[in-house]
Amino acid sequence: MRITTNMTANNAIYHLQQNLANLSKLQELSTTQQNINRPSDDPNAAGVLLDIADKLKASDQYNTNISKASTFMQVTSTALTGIAGFITQAKSLVDSISSGTTDQTQRQTVSDQLASLKKQIVDMANTQSADGQYVLGGTASSTPPFNNANNTYAGDSTQVNIEVTQNSTQTMNLTGDRVLQGVGSNPSYGTTDILGTFDNLIAAVSANNVTSIQQGTTALEAGAQQITNAQIDLTARMTRLDSMSKMNTNNQTTLQNMASDIQTVDLAKVGVQLSQQQTAYSAALSATAKISQMSLLDYLP
Amino acid sequence: MSLNSIMQIGKSGLSAYRVATEITGENIANVNTPGYSRQRAILETAPQSAINGFSLGTGVSVTGVQRFYDGLLQQQMVTAQTTLGYDSTSSNVLQQIEPTFNEVTTNGLGDAISKFFGSWQDLSLNPTGTAERQAVLTTAQNVVDNFHSISKTLSDTVAAQNSSLTPLTDSINATLNSIAQLNGQIKTTQMTSGNANELKDQRDQLIQDLSKQVGITYTENSDGTTDVNYTDASGTYALVSGSKAGAFSLDKITNPNSYAVQLTAAGSAGPATTVAPTQGALGATLALRDTIIPGYQKQVDLLATTIATKVNAQQTSGADLTGATGIALFDPATSSAATIAINPAVTSTNQIAAAASGSPAMSGDNSNALAMAGLLNDTSTMGGSTFNGYYNTLVSKVGLDVQSSQNTVSRDEAFSNQLSTLRESNSGVSLDEELTNLVTYQRSYQASSKIITTATDMMDTVLGLIS
Repeated sequence: MRITTNMTANNAIYHLQQNLANLSKLQELSTTQQNINRPSDDPNAAGVLLDIADKLKASDQYNTNISKASTFMQVTSTALTGIAGFITQAKSLVDSISSGTTDQTQRQTVSDQLASLKKQIVDMANTQSADGQYVLGGTASSTPPFNNANNTYAGDSTQVNIEVTQNSTQTMNLTGDRVLQGVGSNPSYGTTDILGTFDNLIAAVSANNVTSIQQGTTALEAGAQQITNAQIDLTARMTRLDSMSKMNTNNQTTLQNMASDIQTVDLAKVGVQLSQQQTAYSAALSATAKISQMSLLDYLP
Repeated sequence: MSLNSIMQIGKSGLSAYRVATEITGENIANVNTPGYSRQRAILETAPQSAINGFSLGTGVSVTGVQRFYDGLLQQQMVTAQTTLGYDSTSSNVLQQIEPTFNEVTTNGLGDAISKFFGSWQDLSLNPTGTAERQAVLTTAQNVVDNFHSISKTLSDTVAAQNSSLTPLTDSINATLNSIAQLNGQIKTTQMTSGNANELKDQRDQLIQDLSKQVGITYTENSDGTTDVNYTDASGTYALVSGSKAGAFSLDKITNPNSYAVQLTAAGSAGPATTVAPTQGALGATLALRDTIIPGYQKQVDLLATTIATKVNAQQTSGADLTGATGIALFDPATSSAATIAINPAVTSTNQIAAAASGSPAMSGDNSNALAMAGLLNDTSTMGGSTFNGYYNTLVSKVGLDVQSSQNTVSRDEAFSNQLSTLRESNSGVSLDEELTNLVTYQRSYQASSKIITTATDMMDTVLGLIS
């Protein structure tokens, strides 16, 4: 093959270009530390990365849901603990006069205390979550579900579900009718109308009706059990949320590992390649410089 | 044989080597001229004469100037240039679009869609919350903005392709005219038995330039001219025929946003025929304008309309904070990514329908918000993918198109580099060779002049005998 000076020059330009292109690709890898900087770097892997990113965003969202729901449930749990405490107090109070007493003052004190405890239970049942929802109100969460005067329930029995992971929901709230009135099903915690029991007890104590007082004591015990049942249900839900959150976090870790396998640059490899490429480039430059200097003109007289 | 004929032989040498040196000079001067083919003088012995009873040559003569030229290689280069022209044009434009879809390093439409449905998840935890409701509206606006931005980039690129047709066809027409003119000059020069090598080189170079812009075929005629033809599905047209040139024109009136390319064949009186070039830069520009970019646009439009339709349907099947049936969140007139917008009738955060249909005012029911958030994973409308999945596939597709066009371009470049190396090997000027020739011819010229001096000396000797 006949070789001309221009051929050598053109080839040198072409190959120096290729060398420099490789070098700049490696430089991009080492500066961004990412294998894929644009979809065309590896279209399939880019698609996988985007899918992973979407799944990560989704499970971030689910974890946010879970943490908000947990807060809501903790508020509910605090309310239930309070209610249970007041019922226990009421029970010991009633126990003290279970066989009746003729002491008018003592009966008055007990009935006053019972009335006050009932009022505190109503206040507890009207607990609001951090963002102002009445936790025991069902979906009518913007009005107080109970009032002290007539024991009626202003909420509804709708249970609010939230999504904790894809296509899997968890009931977030306990409704006041189930907890305090003992009505409703799925779940049912008992059949005791706790506020009504208080009213009956107050009346029985005032009237010194021993039979009614004892009936009231039994009903209070049943009521305490009802609250305990609700607490157990709530705890079970919170445990589920907890494990869901762990599962989501585990999934995230797996996904992040997958993404990082695709995306993270093997620095050692790039470093070695970079220095190889640098050597190749400088060799090419030096060869080009030396060869293109040579000409017959240097030797002609 | 006389002393005179010795002088004549010397003279023939002088003039032959003068011509040869001249050609060497021309070669050296054109060492960097694109498309130049090296030339050489063809030396032959001058006719013999038999004056003294035996025949002897009468010196040397230059019978022609030969151009080192490979017709087949030229054909291959023309084909390679056409492919390179198409691929590099489409690669350039696709690389400009790619950043719009670069969801890998920046947050774009995909992220906006995720956030929009995420905001419904947040709303499901506090269905009466004003902040959560506001977030739904804000993220919806973000989705709209992202759709608009992508759509604008795509339609701007389409418009840019359309307007680039004007300079492109102008440049093609100018090249066609130059080829036709050169054809005329070559024909005239050759009729007067002149040497049209340089003109031919120029013409071949122009044909190569032309082939980069539009797919052509060409034939060389015996009179030295070259006919250039253009072929597409509608037929074959002469672009250059002898010294007559055809011309491409654009119909800008029928559809000002999408010019039709028309062609008036060489020597034809018109009217121009509408053609559909598929090769070279012209073909690539048309393919980008009519097929490739509108293809992306169609997918983005489908995504926009489907999201709007599904979200609106879910909105209207729920109840808003006042207990009324929800109204469309996105403009019901949405028909593309460019026209998607928040429904102008949505003026208050109360109009977000989080509760189930029939719920009272201020209801804390979240079932509609949950159903809305669940649309993120809905695979019923986008051919088996979710909205994000569909968009991710589009991103991959754009990436794949860019990648394969880049690969094609580098392959094309390697191929045409190889071809020009081959051409250079055959037709290129080698300075070493020319310098060697220069020395050779110079020495030969000196020797020829020595013959003349020797003959003069001999003549002097003869004349000295007389005196």
